[in-house]
Amino acid sequence: MLRASCQLLSQPGVSAVKTGSTNFALEFVRWRRKPRWLPVAKSKKFRVPERKKQTEEERVELLRLHNIYKTQLRSVRQYLREETVRQQETSTIDHIVFTPEQEEAAFQRCLEENAAWNATIAAEREVRLKREREEKKAYVQERLEAALIREEERKEQANEKVRREKELAKTFISRENLDVAIETALANPVDYNFSIDLGGNIYRGRGTLPGGSEPPAEAQQQQKQAASN
Amino acid sequence: MSQKVIQYIGRTTDFRGNTLWELVANLPNWGVGRMLIRNMFQRYPEPCFMRILKVQAVDEKPGEERKVRVTVEKTWRGVTQPKPVEIYSTSYKADYELVPVEEEQKFLKNTKKVGEVILPNKIEFPPLLREYIREETGESNPLMNVHFKKTYNKQARIAAEGEQPTVQLGMSLSKPPEVSAKLYEGLL
Repeated sequence: MLRASCQLLSQPGVSAVKTGSTNFALEFVRWRRKPRWLPVAKSKKFRVPERKKQTEEERVELLRLHNIYKTQLRSVRQYLREETVRQQETSTIDHIVFTPEQEEAAFQRCLEENAAWNATIAAEREVRLKREREEKKAYVQERLEAALIREEERKEQANEKVRREKELAKTFISRENLDVAIETALANPVDYNFSIDLGGNIYRGRGTLPGGSEPPAEAQQQQKQAASN
Repeated sequence: MSQKVIQYIGRTTDFRGNTLWELVANLPNWGVGRMLIRNMFQRYPEPCFMRILKVQAVDEKPGEERKVRVTVEKTWRGVTQPKPVEIYSTSYKADYELVPVEEEQKFLKNTKKVGEVILPNKIEFPPLLREYIREETGESNPLMNVHFKKTYNKQARIAAEGEQPTVQLGMSLSKPPEVSAKLYEGLL
């Protein structure tokens, strides 16, 4: 249609070129009609479209025919719909259909298989649990023994400590032997002083001379005084 | 001074009357209990009218005819519908008219009824489908059920067992009514 109109339009154009007139006839007709999104043309703005009247006989007949047609179409659609549903329900093309006995048998087989699996797993579990029980038992036993030994050692140490303390307690200064102890201490003064020479020899005693000889008497006297002080 | 003549310009319409809001807005108690008609439906000889039961105003929308939500008791072609009907989406149509109280009797006394329309229970298939079904099932004359959904607006019904239908729905061009017989002159 579009091409035909272009041809129609171009033909007078050619003749127009031949006759040397303007090329208005080469105007491109791109659309057969105004695009829908353009507003009403100015020339059509006030045009009132005519409403055609149907005659009564036409109206009645068309109504009747339409009613019949629509009822028929609805009926066909209903038939096809029902047919599809029926086919989906009865056909076995896309799935396997079992009889109730087969279904029951399949279910029983599934049950048996499941039971067998359960039994295997149960046996494995038994063994594992037994092993675990024994391991636990051994561990507990070991820990108990270790605890016993530890306890005994502790008691031994405590006893040892008590014995040592008792041993020591004999030499404690009590109210009874206090005087004796004082006497003894006075009688045996302890001299912690010492001197040391270049050779690293230690000379115990405040007045001890190098070589180990006793200090002179005065020195000893002085030493005694210092000690008593 | 000559009489004023109103000349209408532009497209013509089949509607005659006012929008529903224009009617109810001016009435005391929103016109509850008054009788309404749609002028479009006055083409039927049977009485078509509505009685207002309840009115709910709806906000005005700019650039549109104002709508209103009205619940009516509808009598359609001589049959009063059992449930009240709500008019909302069609309330903008300038086709409603209020019936004056003294003229209501005209509608109430009109006892015309629609003639009985009985549809056949089963009809034949369209030709091509019929051929397919014949091939598949081997049935010489397969028939399909007629689809018909009964609503309160529809007054036809499907024929019961052994009843004679009043409408022929066959695939062939059945006999045209008296009025339109002229269209088929020399053809049938």
